[in-house]
Amino acid sequence: MGKKHRDRSKPAPRIVAVSPDDGSAIDLKNPALAALLSWCLPGLGQIYQGRLFKGRLFMGAILGTFIAGLWLGGGRVVYASWTPGNTRWAYVCQAGAGLVALPAMFQSLHLQGPAKQPFFGSSFMAPPLTPGQYVSRDYATSLASADPDIEAEDFFDRPPWRQSRIDEVSIWHRRFGRWFEIGTLYTMLAGMLNMLVIYDAWAGPLGMPTDDERKAHRNAASAASQRKEAPK
Amino acid sequence: MTPLAMFAGLMPALMPCLFATLVDRVPGIFFGLPLMALASLIFAATHHEDPAEIRFATIHWAVWLGGILGLVLAALLLLGWFV
Repeated sequence: MGKKHRDRSKPAPRIVAVSPDDGSAIDLKNPALAALLSWCLPGLGQIYQGRLFKGRLFMGAILGTFIAGLWLGGGRVVYASWTPGNTRWAYVCQAGAGLVALPAMFQSLHLQGPAKQPFFGSSFMAPPLTPGQYVSRDYATSLASADPDIEAEDFFDRPPWRQSRIDEVSIWHRRFGRWFEIGTLYTMLAGMLNMLVIYDAWAGPLGMPTDDERKAHRNAASAASQRKEAPK
Repeated sequence: MTPLAMFAGLMPALMPCLFATLVDRVPGIFFGLPLMALASLIFAATHHEDPAEIRFATIHWAVWLGGILGLVLAALLLLGWFV
């Protein structure tokens, strides 16, 4: 009762934002979809809205920083872990960068699950092993063969599993030193700044023109049109 | 010549020394600069649409961010001397 239904024969109203620079309208299309796309791949939402310059800029800047951070940290700085004493809060920020950080979630869930090995098999974005942690025999063997700091003796034989004796995060800190922290910082900042990008796709530019700026712009525009109309 | 003018005159000669001291005291400071540039760029680009305005605002944000972080760093270094 009293519920108003939109007339489906008419086109849906366009959702627009106002450009703070020239007061022009920005068609946000479907803001929720744009925000989701911007989370999936930074800048993709802006590209969907036709704001190509900003979309490419965001994509290059955010992804570039995330990948640079990952590289600086030896590919180990992005991982998800909720085990007591090894909770990775940095991942909350890193996850803001979107799909590029998502493999860490799969790796972690699969390693904690009944298979006891990462989803993709390799240790890429997998959480570090903690002392006493059970892993599959395959994963223990692959770690011992791929990582120079881990040996087969670092695992107890507990059929059908292997039990870790190592604190892998300590190995990473020893190996990468301050690069581990710098890489973590880069990836975290990339994720956090992508929140602003998502908001930009959702609601348009953050900086709205003040009334004075609007008035000044209107005056400048009318003065320009008068100059154009005036005879030479 | 006032002391302030003397100090301003000496600044060009002092800058390399200050910079070298800073790099020596704060290893890895260079890795903070791209982050500052990135934050300024994203802040600017989420506040404007026009590329020229984005460029101008990036510099504006970078100066503010650099100034504030520089002051915090200077305060920490001073504290480090006294503690």
